Amino acid sequence: MNSETLDTLDSYSKNKYKYGFVTDIDNEKPKKGLNEDTVKFISLKKNEPNWMLEWRLKAFSKWKKMKEPRWANLNFPEIDYQDIYYYSAPKGFEKKPKDLSEVDPKLIETYNKLGIPLEEQKVLAGVAVDVVFDSVSVATTYKGELEKLGIIFCSIGEAIQKHPDLIKKYLGSVIPAGDHSFSALNSAVFTDGSFVYIPEGVKCPMELSTYFRINAENTGQFERTLIIADKGSYVSYLEGCTAPKRDDNQLHAANVELIALEDAEIKYSTVQNWYPGDEDGKGGIYNFVTKRGLCAGKNSKISWTQVETGSAITWKYPSCILKGDNSIGEFYSVAITNNFQQADTGTKMTHIGKNTKSKIISKGISLGKSQNTYRGEVSFLRKADKARNYTQCDSLLVGNKCGAHTVPYIDSKNNTAVIEHEASTSKINEDQLYYCRQRGLSHEEAVSLIVNGFCKQVLQELPMEFAVEAQKLVSISLEGSVG
Amino acid sequence: MNIQDNYLKNKENIFFSQNKDIKNHREKLINIFKNDKFDRKNNESLKNINLKNFIDFNYKYLIPEETSVINNNQENIYSILSVNGQCSSFKDEKIEITKILKEDYNDFSKNNTIEKNDHFVNLNSLFLNSGFKIVIKKNNNIKIKISNIVTDDDLTIFQKNSIICEEGSSLSLVDEYENKNNSTSNIFNVIKLEKNSQLNHFLIQDNSSNHNLITTSHSTCKKDSTYIQKVYNFSEGYVRNFHYSELIEINSEADLQGIFFLKDNNTSNNKTFVKHLAEDCKSNQVYKGILNDRSKATYFSNTYVDQVAQKTEGYQLSKGVLLSDNASYFSKPELKIYADDVKCSHGSTIGPIDENAIFYLRSRGMSKIAATKILISSFINEELSSIDDDQMSQIIQKKLVRYLSKVK
Repeated sequence: MNSETLDTLDSYSKNKYKYGFVTDIDNEKPKKGLNEDTVKFISLKKNEPNWMLEWRLKAFSKWKKMKEPRWANLNFPEIDYQDIYYYSAPKGFEKKPKDLSEVDPKLIETYNKLGIPLEEQKVLAGVAVDVVFDSVSVATTYKGELEKLGIIFCSIGEAIQKHPDLIKKYLGSVIPAGDHSFSALNSAVFTDGSFVYIPEGVKCPMELSTYFRINAENTGQFERTLIIADKGSYVSYLEGCTAPKRDDNQLHAANVELIALEDAEIKYSTVQNWYPGDEDGKGGIYNFVTKRGLCAGKNSKISWTQVETGSAITWKYPSCILKGDNSIGEFYSVAITNNFQQADTGTKMTHIGKNTKSKIISKGISLGKSQNTYRGEVSFLRKADKARNYTQCDSLLVGNKCGAHTVPYIDSKNNTAVIEHEASTSKINEDQLYYCRQRGLSHEEAVSLIVNGFCKQVLQELPMEFAVEAQKLVSISLEGSVG
Repeated sequence: MNIQDNYLKNKENIFFSQNKDIKNHREKLINIFKNDKFDRKNNESLKNINLKNFIDFNYKYLIPEETSVINNNQENIYSILSVNGQCSSFKDEKIEITKILKEDYNDFSKNNTIEKNDHFVNLNSLFLNSGFKIVIKKNNNIKIKISNIVTDDDLTIFQKNSIICEEGSSLSLVDEYENKNNSTSNIFNVIKLEKNSQLNHFLIQDNSSNHNLITTSHSTCKKDSTYIQKVYNFSEGYVRNFHYSELIEINSEADLQGIFFLKDNNTSNNKTFVKHLAEDCKSNQVYKGILNDRSKATYFSNTYVDQVAQKTEGYQLSKGVLLSDNASYFSKPELKIYADDVKCSHGSTIGPIDENAIFYLRSRGMSKIAATKILISSFINEELSSIDDDQMSQIIQKKLVRYLSKVK
């Protein structure tokens, strides 16, 4: 890194404290537990207008009456909502490792395998460095370019201040606060997340990512993302990172809402690699995410791509409501579970408009003692004439202590709509394995190659740079558990 | 009248009401009904059912005057007339038919997976008032035809049958349900297949619109045995077909097939559940439905593969054809797999009749209706042509023609 960059960084990290409230909190210890005061506290700290506070309180009162959903094929203990910090502790408050030597060597090993630069490693491991290095300059240049096009890309907190009209109109319009207990919880206490607005007719020239957003270094445990693509626009959004992330927060309940108006297209890609717990199934993140997209206008399109390798528990169903005529919904997913991980993931495609199309490709891989479930719903409502769905979900089992499950719900109320669903479950093909071994690959390499081939259909949907990393990630996830 | 009152009032008419153990079990069931209250939201097997008919009913049962078993020894064919769920006793060197015994009650009433989720089986245990037991003796090969008849209006039949195929036996069983009166039959067949035995079970259901039929079966297959079930549902009234199958020993096989033809406001609920609990077993579940007018159908299929059940092959297929705007079909083909050396798959399609196929036939001079009818027949042809028995095949063809004549 050259000295100029370092200077920029320095000044940036100093500047940061200009924004009043951050320093304020330094003196105030956030309290554990959830009650109306917590919600008020968060709202106050974020300097939110009154209508926002009311919105949060309303969601909170709904949450109080709700029970967390238990229908998934997951086994987890009762969550103690009073034992959680709802306002993540400010810088300097947490115990942070001083340099990389204090970080778990296993983590460093994985970083090296993924080919992550040393400086970046520090950030990912949570070493006490305040800013994301290269991305700062990158971010500022990008930001200028985005502004020129009229694209709004900022944190949700900033959007509440600066673009209240858009927030009022769209926040909670796809995932109502009262949808289920996690959405209500998130609505009440969300602290961070991204807001994207693409104006009419604009094609966003680059992949947007939380990584490039200046104040993204502290993506909270209750993230709230809202993406609006106005008429005829296009945006591709990346969430997460291939590098494993350690996090003290056990419970994550993010909400992501996408809205595509007429002729607009949103592509949302996720790589999730949170801490999955150790080999004995201790610890690990509980990831309860609600993601939903609304194809509101005609000819709109929403495409979800996800690679799920982390978290002790994954509960995630990115779904599409195909309301506009001719709209398209897509879902591509790879879910890998190892050791004692449990994943219950899938999608929901609701066809409302005419000529709507959806495509679901899901690949599940179970290793060790993990349980991997695909749960998807495809429904054609009465007016969804000529709607079309194709679903393919394949599961691969490695080892005889894991489980792979498929739970599709298929509902058709229209006699011109066509649904096709196919699924298969099997172990790794012996012939393929034999062929690879014959050509000199070790057992582990062979398995990794076959699994990568198995996932290819999904991985190729990821943006270029991501796809390469994701492939490596798939191989790493398999390590040590085959053979 | 609600379930509790009904039970208390008619306690004495119900089978085995003197037995303490069974009484206790029934008290437990009553409690389940009290607490659960037929929670539609969390129990998907209740989807689309008009529950009022089954919760709020008037219990009425008549002991039949005449039942019969006729046997034609030369051809090993037996005809059984089951009236109001009862059948006279019969015994020869090949089969034995008796009333069900106390001992059998536990056998099929206390199955945990069923008890928890299937309220209609619980209702059956609670109000049990009829049923019989058929034992096919070792190494015999016979055919049985059962005509299930309900004599009066407003009867509520709660019947439990036990069918046991002893080692090396082979049975072809045809169950016919053709009732025209306003009554409800709740029938639970418990089937046990011993080593190397085989059962071909046909169910032909053709009731009028005021007759509700609930059939449930539970089969357990031991080593090298095969259970094949084929359900043909032409009923105009409500029909529920739930079939559970357990493959408990090596190299056993279960094949559950069903076709349903629905029209008007009719509803049908279907479920197949296969549990693989041993190595080298095979299962196959195929359900096809044709839905016209305002009819509704659900199909749940479930394949469970236990950790020890390596080398399993399990296949599922469900296909639905919607002929009308107002018909609806819900399908949920589920796989639960805990073993790794398996070949399991499922497929499901729902849609209209292929327009290109219709166009092809019309371009050859066929009317639209004729083309539709041909395509419906071809849709289920595979299943129909697999019936070996000519007589059976003719009966089903006739019913199909009748159904097609109403398609417009």
